[in-house]
Amino acid sequence: MQFILYPLLLGVIIILQSTVLENVAIAGIKPDLVMLVVVFGSFFRGTRTGAFLGFTGGIVEDLFSGNYIGLNALAKMAAGYLAGAAGGRLYRENIPIATVVTFFTSLAGLMANYLLLLYLNITIDPLHALFSVALPVAAYTALLVPFVFRSIFRYIQVLSREL
Amino acid sequence: MRWATAKRLFLLAVLVAVTLAAMRCTVPERTGLTSPGSKFRDVLAPVQSGLTWLGRQGRYIISLPVSMVGAAARSQALEQEVKRLESEKIQFNEYLIENQRLAALLDYKNVMAGNYNFVIASVIGRDPGNWFGTITLNRGSGEGIKENMSVLTPEGLVGRVIAVSASTCEVLLITDPRSGVGSLVQDTRAPGIVEGVAGAAGIARMIHIPNNALVEAGQAVVTSGQGSLFPKGIPVGRINNVQNEPSGLFLSAELSPFADLYNLEEVMIVTFVQPGTNGLHAGG
Repeated sequence: MQFILYPLLLGVIIILQSTVLENVAIAGIKPDLVMLVVVFGSFFRGTRTGAFLGFTGGIVEDLFSGNYIGLNALAKMAAGYLAGAAGGRLYRENIPIATVVTFFTSLAGLMANYLLLLYLNITIDPLHALFSVALPVAAYTALLVPFVFRSIFRYIQVLSREL
Repeated sequence: MRWATAKRLFLLAVLVAVTLAAMRCTVPERTGLTSPGSKFRDVLAPVQSGLTWLGRQGRYIISLPVSMVGAAARSQALEQEVKRLESEKIQFNEYLIENQRLAALLDYKNVMAGNYNFVIASVIGRDPGNWFGTITLNRGSGEGIKENMSVLTPEGLVGRVIAVSASTCEVLLITDPRSGVGSLVQDTRAPGIVEGVAGAAGIARMIHIPNNALVEAGQAVVTSGQGSLFPKGIPVGRINNVQNEPSGLFLSAELSPFADLYNLEEVMIVTFVQPGTNGLHAGG
Protein backbone atom coordinates (compact mmCIF):
# COMPACT_ATOMS: atom_id res chain seq x y z
CA MET A 1 0.00 0.00 0.00
CA GLN A 2 2.79 2.44 0.94
CA PHE A 3 4.37 1.93 -2.48
CA ILE A 4 1.30 3.59 -3.96
CA LEU A 5 0.62 6.07 -1.16
CA TYR A 6 4.09 7.58 -0.91
CA PRO A 7 4.53 8.57 -4.59
CA LEU A 8 0.90 9.74 -4.63
CA LEU A 9 1.52 11.90 -1.55
CA LEU A 10 4.70 13.27 -3.14
CA GLY A 11 2.83 14.08 -6.37
CA VAL A 12 0.14 16.00 -4.50
CA ILE A 13 2.75 17.84 -2.42
CA ILE A 14 4.80 18.87 -5.46
CA ILE A 15 1.73 20.17 -7.28
CA LEU A 16 0.78 22.12 -4.15
CA GLN A 17 4.31 23.43 -3.86
CA SER A 18 4.32 24.77 -7.43
CA THR A 19 0.89 26.38 -7.23
CA VAL A 20 -0.85 27.07 -3.93
CA LEU A 21 2.27 27.46 -1.81
CA GLU A 22 3.18 30.64 -3.70
CA ASN A 23 0.45 32.30 -1.66
CA VAL A 24 2.17 31.53 1.64
CA ALA A 25 5.64 32.45 0.42
CA ILE A 26 7.35 35.01 2.68
CA ALA A 27 9.68 37.29 0.71
CA GLY A 28 9.75 34.66 -2.02
CA ILE A 29 10.63 31.81 0.37
CA LYS A 30 8.27 28.87 0.52
CA PRO A 31 8.56 25.83 2.78
CA ASP A 32 9.96 22.63 1.31
CA LEU A 33 7.12 20.18 1.92
CA VAL A 34 8.88 17.27 0.19
CA MET A 35 11.82 17.80 2.56
CA LEU A 36 9.39 17.85 5.49
CA VAL A 37 7.88 14.49 4.52
CA VAL A 38 11.32 12.99 3.84
CA VAL A 39 12.78 14.19 7.13
CA PHE A 40 9.76 12.99 9.10
CA GLY A 41 9.67 9.60 7.45
CA SER A 42 13.40 9.17 7.97
CA PHE A 43 13.30 10.37 11.58
CA PHE A 44 10.92 7.56 12.46
CA ARG A 45 12.26 4.85 10.17
CA GLY A 46 16.05 5.03 10.41
CA THR A 47 18.96 5.78 8.10
CA ARG A 48 18.41 3.17 5.42
CA THR A 49 14.75 3.88 4.85
CA GLY A 50 15.51 7.57 5.29
CA ALA A 51 18.01 7.58 2.45
CA PHE A 52 15.53 5.66 0.29
CA LEU A 53 12.66 8.04 1.09
CA GLY A 54 14.89 11.03 0.42
CA PHE A 55 16.10 9.69 -2.89
CA THR A 56 12.58 8.77 -4.04
CA GLY A 57 11.12 12.10 -2.93
CA GLY A 58 13.91 14.00 -4.66
CA ILE A 59 13.71 12.05 -7.89
CA VAL A 60 9.94 12.63 -8.15
CA GLU A 61 10.61 16.35 -7.67
CA ASP A 62 13.35 16.28 -10.32
CA LEU A 63 11.13 14.44 -12.79
CA PHE A 64 8.42 17.02 -12.20
CA SER A 65 10.71 19.93 -13.06
CA GLY A 66 12.25 17.91 -15.92
CA ASN A 67 15.85 19.09 -15.60
CA TYR A 68 18.90 18.32 -13.47
CA ILE A 69 17.42 14.92 -12.65
CA GLY A 70 19.19 13.67 -9.55
CA LEU A 71 19.90 17.09 -8.04
CA ASN A 72 17.11 16.96 -5.48
CA ALA A 73 17.35 13.18 -5.21
CA LEU A 74 20.91 13.33 -3.85
CA ALA A 75 20.33 16.35 -1.66
CA LYS A 76 17.22 14.87 -0.08
CA MET A 77 18.86 11.49 0.28
CA ALA A 78 21.53 13.17 2.42
CA ALA A 79 18.86 14.92 4.47
CA GLY A 80 16.92 11.66 4.85
CA TYR A 81 19.99 9.76 5.99
CA LEU A 82 20.86 12.42 8.58
CA ALA A 83 17.30 12.56 9.87
CA GLY A 84 17.30 8.75 10.17
CA ALA A 85 20.55 8.88 12.11
CA ALA A 86 19.12 11.55 14.42
CA GLY A 87 15.95 9.50 14.93
CA GLY A 88 18.01 6.55 16.18
CA ARG A 89 19.62 8.65 18.89
CA LEU A 90 16.85 10.99 20.01
CA TYR A 91 13.42 10.69 21.57
CA ARG A 92 11.12 10.69 18.57
CA GLU A 93 7.68 11.51 19.92
CA ASN A 94 8.50 15.05 20.92
CA ILE A 95 7.53 18.06 18.83
CA PRO A 96 10.42 20.43 19.80
CA ILE A 97 12.98 17.68 19.06
CA ALA A 98 11.33 16.94 15.70
CA THR A 99 11.33 20.69 14.91
CA VAL A 100 15.03 21.09 15.66
CA VAL A 101 15.93 17.92 13.72
CA THR A 102 13.85 19.14 10.75
CA PHE A 103 15.65 22.49 10.80
CA PHE A 104 19.17 21.06 10.86
CA THR A 105 18.61 18.17 8.46
CA SER A 106 16.76 20.47 6.00
CA LEU A 107 19.64 22.92 6.24
CA ALA A 108 22.11 20.09 5.55
CA GLY A 109 20.01 18.93 2.57
CA LEU A 110 19.81 22.47 1.18
CA MET A 111 23.55 22.96 1.54
CA ALA A 112 24.08 19.63 -0.26
CA ASN A 113 21.81 21.06 -2.94
CA TYR A 114 24.00 24.17 -3.12
CA LEU A 115 27.17 22.08 -3.54
CA LEU A 116 25.53 20.09 -6.32
CA LEU A 117 24.59 23.36 -8.05
CA LEU A 118 28.25 24.36 -7.96
CA TYR A 119 29.06 20.97 -9.45
CA LEU A 120 26.62 21.85 -12.26
CA ASN A 121 28.45 25.18 -12.79
CA ILE A 122 25.52 27.17 -11.43
CA THR A 123 27.26 29.76 -9.34
CA ILE A 124 25.40 31.28 -6.43
CA ASP A 125 27.06 33.60 -3.97
CA PRO A 126 27.62 31.46 -0.80
CA LEU A 127 26.30 34.19 1.51
CA HIS A 128 23.14 34.54 -0.57
CA ALA A 129 22.81 30.76 -0.72
CA LEU A 130 23.02 30.51 3.06
CA PHE A 131 21.13 33.61 4.19
CA SER A 132 18.66 34.14 1.33
CA VAL A 133 17.73 30.53 0.65
CA ALA A 134 19.05 27.73 2.90
CA LEU A 135 18.47 29.23 6.38
CA PRO A 136 15.04 30.79 5.62
CA VAL A 137 13.76 27.66 3.86
CA ALA A 138 14.99 25.38 6.67
CA ALA A 139 13.43 27.67 9.29
CA TYR A 140 10.09 27.94 7.44
CA THR A 141 9.96 24.16 6.91
CA ALA A 142 10.79 23.49 10.57
CA LEU A 143 8.11 25.94 11.70
CA LEU A 144 5.47 23.74 10.07
CA VAL A 145 6.43 20.74 12.22
CA PRO A 146 4.21 21.60 15.23
CA PHE A 147 1.20 21.86 12.89
CA VAL A 148 1.69 18.59 11.04
CA PHE A 149 3.50 16.43 13.61
CA ARG A 150 0.41 14.55 14.86
CA SER A 151 -0.98 13.79 11.38
CA ILE A 152 2.33 12.58 9.95
CA PHE A 153 3.11 10.63 13.12
CA ARG A 154 -0.25 8.82 12.77
CA TYR A 155 0.40 8.15 9.07
CA ILE A 156 3.80 6.66 9.85
CA GLN A 157 2.28 4.45 12.57
CA VAL A 158 -0.23 3.13 10.02
CA LEU A 159 2.60 2.39 7.61
CA SER A 160 4.60 0.60 10.33
CA ARG A 161 1.59 -1.55 11.19
CA GLU A 162 1.26 -2.53 7.54
CA LEU A 163 4.89 -3.58 7.45
CA MET B 1 -99.47 52.71 15.20
CA ARG B 2 -98.89 52.46 18.88
CA TRP B 3 -97.11 55.22 20.79
CA ALA B 4 -94.13 53.03 21.68
CA THR B 5 -93.51 52.09 18.12
CA ALA B 6 -93.64 55.70 17.00
CA LYS B 7 -91.13 56.66 19.72
CA ARG B 8 -88.72 53.93 18.52
CA LEU B 9 -89.07 55.09 14.94
CA PHE B 10 -88.36 58.67 15.99
CA LEU B 11 -85.22 57.66 17.91
CA LEU B 12 -84.05 55.63 14.94
CA ALA B 13 -84.56 58.59 12.65
CA VAL B 14 -82.62 60.84 15.06
CA LEU B 15 -79.81 58.27 15.24
CA VAL B 16 -79.69 57.98 11.48
CA ALA B 17 -79.69 61.76 11.09
CA VAL B 18 -76.93 62.24 13.68
CA THR B 19 -74.89 59.51 12.09
CA LEU B 20 -75.40 61.05 8.67
CA ALA B 21 -74.33 64.40 10.01
CA ALA B 22 -71.31 62.85 11.70
CA MET B 23 -70.43 61.20 8.45
CA ARG B 24 -70.58 64.57 6.71
CA CYS B 25 -68.30 66.11 9.32
CA THR B 26 -65.67 63.40 9.15
CA VAL B 27 -65.08 63.13 5.42
CA PRO B 28 -61.45 61.84 5.01
CA GLU B 29 -60.44 64.43 2.41
CA ARG B 30 -60.38 67.07 5.05
CA THR B 31 -56.89 67.77 6.32
CA GLY B 32 -57.55 68.42 9.97
CA LEU B 33 -59.51 66.39 12.38
CA THR B 34 -62.66 67.86 13.74
CA SER B 35 -62.37 69.27 17.15
CA PRO B 36 -64.35 66.54 18.98
CA GLY B 37 -62.66 63.84 16.93
CA SER B 38 -59.17 65.12 17.66
CA LYS B 39 -59.85 65.44 21.34
CA PHE B 40 -61.29 61.97 21.42
CA ARG B 41 -58.25 60.61 19.61
CA ASP B 42 -55.85 62.44 21.92
CA VAL B 43 -57.55 60.97 24.94
CA LEU B 44 -57.56 57.52 23.47
CA ALA B 45 -54.00 57.64 22.13
CA PRO B 46 -52.17 56.46 25.27
CA VAL B 47 -54.74 53.77 25.85
CA GLN B 48 -54.51 52.65 22.26
CA SER B 49 -50.77 52.69 22.42
CA GLY B 50 -50.75 50.63 25.61
CA LEU B 51 -53.23 48.15 24.25
CA THR B 52 -51.36 47.81 20.97
CA TRP B 53 -48.13 47.13 22.88
CA LEU B 54 -49.87 44.60 25.07
CA GLY B 55 -51.40 42.94 22.03
CA ARG B 56 -48.06 42.66 20.31
CA GLN B 57 -46.41 41.26 23.43
CA GLY B 58 -49.20 38.75 23.78
CA ARG B 59 -48.93 37.68 20.17
CA TYR B 60 -45.17 37.45 20.50
CA ILE B 61 -45.42 35.28 23.64
CA ILE B 62 -48.00 33.02 22.07
CA SER B 63 -46.28 32.72 18.74
CA LEU B 64 -42.75 32.38 20.16
CA PRO B 65 -42.80 28.61 20.69
CA VAL B 66 -44.33 28.19 17.23
CA SER B 67 -41.72 30.43 15.59
CA MET B 68 -38.90 28.66 17.46
CA VAL B 69 -39.75 25.45 15.64
CA GLY B 70 -38.20 26.67 12.38
CA ALA B 71 -35.79 29.26 13.86
CA ALA B 72 -32.71 27.09 13.88
CA ALA B 73 -33.22 26.04 10.28
CA ARG B 74 -33.90 29.65 9.23
CA SER B 75 -30.84 30.88 11.10
CA GLN B 76 -28.70 28.23 9.45
CA ALA B 77 -30.11 29.12 6.03
CA LEU B 78 -29.39 32.81 6.67
CA GLU B 79 -25.87 32.05 7.81
CA GLN B 80 -25.28 30.08 4.63
CA GLU B 81 -26.74 32.93 2.61
CA VAL B 82 -24.39 35.41 4.33
CA LYS B 83 -21.42 33.15 3.63
CA ARG B 84 -22.48 32.77 0.00
CA LEU B 85 -22.84 36.53 -0.37
CA GLU B 86 -19.47 37.14 1.29
CA SER B 87 -17.86 34.65 -1.06
CA GLU B 88 -19.56 36.33 -4.04
CA LYS B 89 -18.30 39.69 -2.83
CA ILE B 90 -14.73 38.38 -2.66
CA GLN B 91 -15.15 36.90 -6.14
CA PHE B 92 -16.44 40.23 -7.49
CA ASN B 93 -13.48 42.02 -5.92
CA GLU B 94 -11.19 39.47 -7.57
CA TYR B 95 -12.83 40.17 -10.94
CA LEU B 96 -12.43 43.89 -10.33
CA ILE B 97 -8.70 43.56 -9.56
CA GLU B 98 -8.20 41.21 -12.52
CA ASN B 99 -10.03 43.68 -14.73
CA GLN B 100 -7.73 46.49 -13.59
CA ARG B 101 -4.65 44.36 -14.26
CA LEU B 102 -5.85 43.33 -17.71
CA ALA B 103 -6.79 46.93 -18.54
CA ALA B 104 -3.22 47.99 -17.66
CA LEU B 105 -1.81 45.24 -19.89
CA LEU B 106 -4.14 46.21 -22.72
CA ASP B 107 -3.15 49.84 -22.35
CA TYR B 108 0.51 48.93 -22.53
CA LYS B 109 -0.13 46.59 -25.45
CA ASN B 110 -1.89 49.37 -27.37
CA VAL B 111 0.89 51.87 -26.66
CA MET B 112 3.57 49.42 -27.78
CA ALA B 113 1.60 47.94 -30.68
CA GLY B 114 3.78 49.71 -33.24
CA ASN B 115 6.97 48.13 -31.92
CA TYR B 116 6.07 44.72 -30.60
CA ASN B 117 3.57 41.93 -31.05
CA PHE B 118 2.47 40.45 -27.76
CA VAL B 119 0.64 37.39 -26.54
CA ILE B 120 -0.84 37.76 -23.08
CA ALA B 121 -0.38 34.71 -20.85
CA SER B 122 -1.33 33.69 -17.31
CA VAL B 123 1.08 32.17 -14.79
CA ILE B 124 -0.11 28.65 -13.95
CA GLY B 125 2.82 27.31 -11.97
CA ARG B 126 6.23 27.97 -10.48
CA ASP B 127 9.35 25.98 -9.76
CA PRO B 128 8.56 23.91 -6.66
CA GLY B 129 12.01 24.58 -5.17
CA ASN B 130 13.64 27.73 -3.86
CA TRP B 131 16.92 27.71 -5.80
CA PHE B 132 15.65 28.34 -9.30
CA GLY B 133 13.25 30.98 -10.58
CA THR B 134 11.03 29.62 -13.32
CA ILE B 135 7.34 30.06 -14.06
CA THR B 136 4.98 28.11 -16.28
CA LEU B 137 2.62 30.02 -18.58
CA ASN B 138 -0.59 28.86 -20.24
CA ARG B 139 0.62 29.56 -23.80
CA GLY B 140 2.61 27.17 -25.95
CA SER B 141 3.69 26.37 -29.48
CA GLY B 142 0.01 26.30 -30.49
CA GLU B 143 -0.09 30.07 -29.95
CA GLY B 144 3.20 30.66 -31.77
CA ILE B 145 5.42 30.74 -28.69
CA LYS B 146 9.05 29.82 -29.29
CA GLU B 147 12.16 29.46 -27.15
CA ASN B 148 14.06 32.64 -26.23
CA MET B 149 11.08 34.96 -26.65
CA SER B 150 11.14 37.78 -24.11
CA VAL B 151 8.52 37.97 -21.37
CA LEU B 152 7.48 41.33 -19.90
CA THR B 153 5.00 43.11 -17.69
CA PRO B 154 4.19 46.80 -18.09
CA GLU B 155 6.66 47.42 -15.24
CA GLY B 156 9.63 45.68 -16.85
CA LEU B 157 11.45 42.55 -17.96
CA VAL B 158 10.39 39.20 -16.47
CA GLY B 159 12.60 36.72 -18.33
CA ARG B 160 12.71 34.57 -21.43
CA VAL B 161 11.04 31.41 -22.64
CA ILE B 162 13.30 28.37 -22.22
CA ALA B 163 11.00 25.44 -23.00
CA VAL B 164 7.78 25.15 -24.97
CA SER B 165 5.11 22.45 -25.12
CA ALA B 166 1.92 22.48 -27.18
CA SER B 167 -0.07 24.47 -24.62
CA THR B 168 2.43 25.71 -22.02
CA CYS B 169 5.85 27.29 -21.85
CA GLU B 170 8.48 27.65 -19.14
CA VAL B 171 10.04 31.04 -18.47
CA LEU B 172 13.45 31.61 -16.86
CA LEU B 173 13.09 34.63 -14.58
CA ILE B 174 15.84 37.24 -14.51
CA THR B 175 16.43 36.34 -10.83
CA ASP B 176 17.33 32.73 -11.68
CA PRO B 177 21.09 32.08 -11.24
CA ARG B 178 21.17 30.62 -14.78
CA SER B 179 19.86 33.84 -16.34
CA GLY B 180 22.03 36.48 -18.02
CA VAL B 181 20.77 39.68 -19.65
CA GLY B 182 22.97 42.12 -21.55
CA SER B 183 22.12 45.49 -20.00
CA LEU B 184 23.00 49.17 -19.72
CA VAL B 185 22.76 51.69 -16.91
CA GLN B 186 20.21 54.02 -18.48
CA ASP B 187 21.79 57.37 -17.47
CA THR B 188 25.46 56.65 -18.10
CA ARG B 189 25.11 53.90 -20.75
CA ALA B 190 27.59 51.79 -18.74
CA PRO B 191 27.29 48.19 -19.95
CA GLY B 192 27.10 45.04 -17.86
CA ILE B 193 25.35 41.70 -17.52
CA VAL B 194 22.37 41.24 -15.21
CA GLU B 195 22.40 37.78 -13.66
CA GLY B 196 20.14 36.19 -11.09
CA VAL B 197 21.23 35.52 -7.53
CA ALA B 198 18.85 32.74 -6.46
CA GLY B 199 15.26 32.10 -7.47
CA ALA B 200 13.80 32.88 -4.08
CA ALA B 201 16.07 35.84 -3.34
CA GLY B 202 14.08 38.15 -5.64
CA ILE B 203 17.09 40.27 -6.55
CA ALA B 204 19.59 40.31 -9.42
CA ARG B 205 23.17 41.47 -9.85
CA MET B 206 24.68 43.51 -12.65
CA ILE B 207 28.24 42.35 -13.13
CA HIS B 208 31.20 43.33 -15.31
CA ILE B 209 30.46 47.07 -15.18
CA PRO B 210 33.67 48.96 -16.16
CA ASN B 211 35.17 50.35 -12.96
CA ASN B 212 35.47 53.87 -14.39
CA ALA B 213 31.73 54.02 -15.08
CA LEU B 214 29.58 56.39 -13.05
CA VAL B 215 27.16 54.02 -11.38
CA GLU B 216 25.20 54.72 -8.23
CA ALA B 217 22.16 53.55 -6.29
CA GLY B 218 18.80 54.59 -7.72
CA GLN B 219 19.82 54.43 -11.38
CA ALA B 220 17.68 52.42 -13.77
CA VAL B 221 19.02 49.51 -15.79
CA VAL B 222 17.62 48.61 -19.22
CA THR B 223 18.38 45.86 -21.71
CA SER B 224 21.19 46.70 -24.11
CA GLY B 225 19.91 44.62 -27.02
CA GLN B 226 23.49 43.97 -28.12
CA GLY B 227 24.31 40.30 -28.56
CA SER B 228 21.32 39.61 -26.37
CA LEU B 229 18.11 37.67 -26.83
CA PHE B 230 16.15 40.60 -25.41
CA PRO B 231 14.96 43.65 -27.38
CA LYS B 232 16.77 46.89 -26.58
CA GLY B 233 15.56 49.34 -23.96
CA ILE B 234 13.31 47.16 -21.80
CA PRO B 235 13.45 48.26 -18.13
CA VAL B 236 15.15 45.63 -16.00
CA GLY B 237 15.56 47.03 -12.50
CA ARG B 238 16.85 49.76 -10.22
CA ILE B 239 20.31 49.69 -8.63
CA ASN B 240 20.35 49.23 -4.83
CA ASN B 241 24.08 49.34 -4.18
CA VAL B 242 27.41 49.17 -6.02
CA GLN B 243 30.50 47.14 -5.09
CA ASN B 244 33.93 46.39 -6.51
CA GLU B 245 34.27 42.93 -8.00
CA PRO B 246 37.02 40.81 -6.35
CA SER B 247 39.19 41.07 -9.50
CA GLY B 248 39.26 44.87 -9.11
CA LEU B 249 38.69 45.36 -12.83
CA PHE B 250 34.94 45.70 -12.72
CA LEU B 251 32.11 46.94 -10.56
CA SER B 252 29.00 44.96 -9.69
CA ALA B 253 25.63 46.28 -8.58
CA GLU B 254 22.74 44.66 -6.79
CA LEU B 255 19.39 45.59 -8.30
CA SER B 256 15.69 45.12 -7.62
CA PRO B 257 13.70 44.13 -10.70
CA PHE B 258 11.00 46.57 -11.79
CA ALA B 259 8.57 43.69 -12.43
CA ASP B 260 7.10 42.23 -9.24
CA LEU B 261 8.39 38.72 -9.79
CA TYR B 262 6.91 37.38 -6.54
CA ASN B 263 3.36 38.23 -7.56
CA LEU B 264 3.16 37.60 -11.29
CA GLU B 265 -0.27 36.67 -12.57
CA GLU B 266 -0.44 37.87 -16.18
CA VAL B 267 2.54 38.59 -18.42
CA MET B 268 3.20 39.44 -22.08
CA ILE B 269 5.29 37.30 -24.37
CA VAL B 270 6.98 39.31 -27.14
CA THR B 271 6.37 37.30 -30.30
CA PHE B 272 7.70 39.89 -32.78
CA VAL B 273 9.91 42.97 -32.55
CA GLN B 274 9.88 45.64 -35.28
CA PRO B 275 13.42 46.15 -36.58
CA GLY B 276 14.97 49.31 -35.18
CA THR B 277 12.75 49.34 -32.08
CA ASN B 278 14.52 51.22 -29.34
CA GLY B 279 13.69 52.06 -25.81
CA LEU B 280 10.91 52.04 -23.28
CA HIS B 281 10.78 54.25 -20.24
CA ALA B 282 12.42 52.61 -17.26
CA GLY B 283 10.36 52.37 -14.14
CA GLY B 284 7.16 51.18 -15.77
